[in-house]
This record gives sequence, structure tokens and C-alpha cells, in this order.
Amino acid sequence: MLCEECKVNEASYTLSVMVGEELTTRHLCGDCMAKMNMNIASGNIKSLLSSILSAITGNDTPAEKQPEVVCPRCRTTLSQFTKTGHLGCPACYEAFHEQLQPMLLQIHGRVQHAGRKPLATEDAQRSRYRQEDLTRQMEQAIAVEDFETAARIRDQLKELAAKEAEA
Amino acid sequence: MSNPIVLSSRVRLARNYQDIPFDVAHKPDAAAMCIARTSNALRLSGQDSGFELLRLIDMDDVQRRALAECRLISKDLLRDPATAAVLLNEAEGLSIMMNEEDHLRIQAIRSGMALQEAAEACFRMDDALSRQVSFAYDEQLGYLTACPTNTGTGMRASLLIHLPMLTILKQMGNVGQIVAKVGLTIRGVYGEGSEALGNLYLVSNQVTLGRTEQELISAVTAVGHQLTDMELALREKSLQNGRNALEDSIYRAWGIMQYARCMGQNEFFKHWSGVRLGAAMGMLPVKLATLDAMLEQVQEANLQALMESTVTGRALDEKRAECIRAMLKD
Ligand SMILES: [Zn+2]
Ligand SMILES: [Zn+2]
Repeated sequence: MLCEECKVNEASYTLSVMVGEELTTRHLCGDCMAKMNMNIASGNIKSLLSSILSAITGNDTPAEKQPEVVCPRCRTTLSQFTKTGHLGCPACYEAFHEQLQPMLLQIHGRVQHAGRKPLATEDAQRSRYRQEDLTRQMEQAIAVEDFETAARIRDQLKELAAKEAEA
Repeated sequence: MSNPIVLSSRVRLARNYQDIPFDVAHKPDAAAMCIARTSNALRLSGQDSGFELLRLIDMDDVQRRALAECRLISKDLLRDPATAAVLLNEAEGLSIMMNEEDHLRIQAIRSGMALQEAAEACFRMDDALSRQVSFAYDEQLGYLTACPTNTGTGMRASLLIHLPMLTILKQMGNVGQIVAKVGLTIRGVYGEGSEALGNLYLVSNQVTLGRTEQELISAVTAVGHQLTDMELALREKSLQNGRNALEDSIYRAWGIMQYARCMGQNEFFKHWSGVRLGAAMGMLPVKLATLDAMLEQVQEANLQALMESTVTGRALDEKRAECIRAMLKD
């Protein structure tokens, strides 16, 4: 099978990418695989982004024919963003929402944040430390197959989460 | 704690202020605001002991590059010294870089396999700061960053890992595949393009959005363990199959490192890799911690800082050899 990126070399790697909840695979040669890894790892994301973007919008539409979108806060344009791979300001996320959504899906496979949040209060911080602590204890209990302890910690965690939801 | 395969663990978090444009390179007022706001927040948080504010513009080029060689700041921070700064706590391996690609890059480095500890240090700092200032955050997309590849957690967790046998036995293609399958990436740390000088690699998470920090750390840690097992198995096997050949190359590297009078950077990486392999396998009487420290101390800017001069070429290579000899004697 030929490499799907350069269409020259024999594909020897399978790159699995989550798109939404579906796992899609791409077949790449060693060179393109290395390039892909390098682009992502080095933050030299320009070429990666533009290839993703052109795949989404369709290669046939030249950039200048697309309607220009401008961020109302920092005046960065969509074409500036696709050229540099960098957004101008936090408000750009809102302004380019339509174009960013498929791009983020391509890069990350998901578009709903699941991680930490900024802390509002000291109480929330204490509660979160406690939860992180308990989660680790639970993982350790599961690792040594002490399911009784794990279940007890899980209940404690549920209680904490319920309290947080009330607040 | 020294580890036979994993040299160090690093976690960094990207954070931005809601009301300042991302790129402040040509906006001195915005850049100054970032630095002032962050320094203030750190002081108000009460977590500032041991931290020192370093503006890159106040440092000479050698000092800046030496910090980057020790990985306390990123190479990207050097790009615009006029606006960049770092709040550095060298003893704790903690840095808050300002005005790099994002307004803030909170970074923690620990030696050996210790991503959890590094992450917790970053989280504590993130929490301390976020009680004083507000970071650009969106309920759907998480932390908003200058580049969409960091959006979400804004977190990159990485392991600096030494894989000489996997490299020599041409297994890095397989390794790349294993790593990519679980959403991680691996690349050489030193050298241009695809070469990995010293057989040193950086394994890190590729995605940042849609997973929790804990999931990402677990994934990188799990791959770190997997690569460790693979590398150790190959080391074991090579001893059984070709003890003499492997031993010979390790002792040759050891000989050169102990006696050479002049050594270029590329040559250093090659012998360093052999010596670290020998030390990790218990063949050579040298501490892994010494070799890990050497990796930073004999690089160009660190040597120049020692010599208080910007010499390059032969004089630098002679100083490098001298430093190596001195470190191996202790
Ligand atoms: Zn290809
Ligand atoms: Zn904007």
C-alpha cells in the first residue's frame, strides 16, 4: 500500500487517529510518519494545520475565495491564522469557532475539555486536592486488588462530588 | 532518583490571560503587563520563596543559552529576549516562563520517572496563581492557548529517555508505532532532523484536549515503563548473545571519555551514550547522576559560562574534555 501522505513511498506505519468517537487509521511511510511526529512534537505546527485545514475545507477552494473572518478583539484574520497556525487572542476561539471545531477534532479526536478548571475559591482547591488524593489511593487499592477499600474510597469520592455540585 | 533508562520527567502547563493578545513579541506594554501581573500573583499567593525573576534582556547570551541547555527554560523563550522573562526556582526545578508562545508556561522537572510529582508541582503553582488572576478558559475547550495543539489541558508531559539498544538494533520504527498508537509522540532531543544524538528521546503526549491530566500522565508513564522493559530486555539479551562486542564498545567509550584531551559535541554524545549504558548495566564505576549532570554541563553555553568567554572550536572542545575527565574522577 502506498503512503497516503506523499503517495510515493510504501506505507509502513499505521497512524490511528480518533475522530469523534471513531477510530480512523492512516497509512504512512517512515518519512511522513517522522515528519508528522516532528511537526506535532516541535510545535512547528504550521504545515500540519494547513494540511488538516485544506483536508477539511477541500483542496479545491483557494484560500482567497473563502470569506474572510476577522476576530473583533485583536483583528487577526482567518487566513493569518491558517498561515501561522497561531491564534491572535483568546477571543479568536469564538470568532473562528466554525473553522476551529473540525480542526480541534482532527488534532485531539475530541472537542470537550475533561481536565482541570481554574479555581474559584480556597475551599474548591482543598476539595480538589482531597479528590486527587483519594483517586490515587483508589487506583493503588485496585492495583493490589483490594476492592473493598477501593469501593469505600469510591463512595467517599461520590460524596465529595455531590457536595461540590450543591455548592 | 537515578533510573537506568529514564533520565528525567517534565510537565508543563500553558496558561494565558484573557485580556492580552497571545503574541506580545512586538507589544512591549502587553509583555510588561504579563510579567508584572504574574510576578505579583506569585508574590500574593505566598508561594514565591526561592523564586527569582530573570528578564532575558538583562542576561547575556551565554547565560540564557546555558539555562536552556539545562532545560530550565525552553529554546523558544530565547527567540525574543526583549520581552521574555522567567520566574525561576532552580532548587525546586520549577519555572514560570513568560511571553513564550503562551503568556505563561509553568514547568516542573524531576529526575528519573516522576511525572506524577512533576505534575503535582505544576498543579500547585497553577492553583496558587489562579486564585490571584484569571486565565483564559472555556467550559467546552478548556484552557485557551495560542496554538490549537495545546488547547484543553494545555499540558505536555514528557520523559527524557535513553534507548541505545533499541536504536542500535533498529527498533525505533516499532517504538514509534507503539507510541503513536496510544496518542503519544517520540522524537530525538539533540541533533538536527531525525537523528537522535546520544540515543536520547523525548516521549510526550500529543493530544491535550478531551482527556484529563491524570489520563495523559498515566499514558506517558505506561509507555515509559513499556519502553524501559523493551530496552532492558534487549540489554540482557545482548549480554548473552554478544557479550564481547557490547562490552568492547562500552569500554572503548569509557576509555575515550576518561583520557581524551579534545572532544566535539557530537563525539561526546556518542561516547556518553556508551558510558551511560555501561554504567546502567553495572559495568562501569560511575554514578548515573554524574552522567546525567554531565549531559548539561559540557554543552556549549555551560562550558562558555565556566570559561567566562564565548570561545568555540578547539578551545571549547578541549575544555569539554577537561570537564568530562574531572567529573569522571569524582
Ligand atoms: Zn509518505
Ligand atoms: Zn483574536
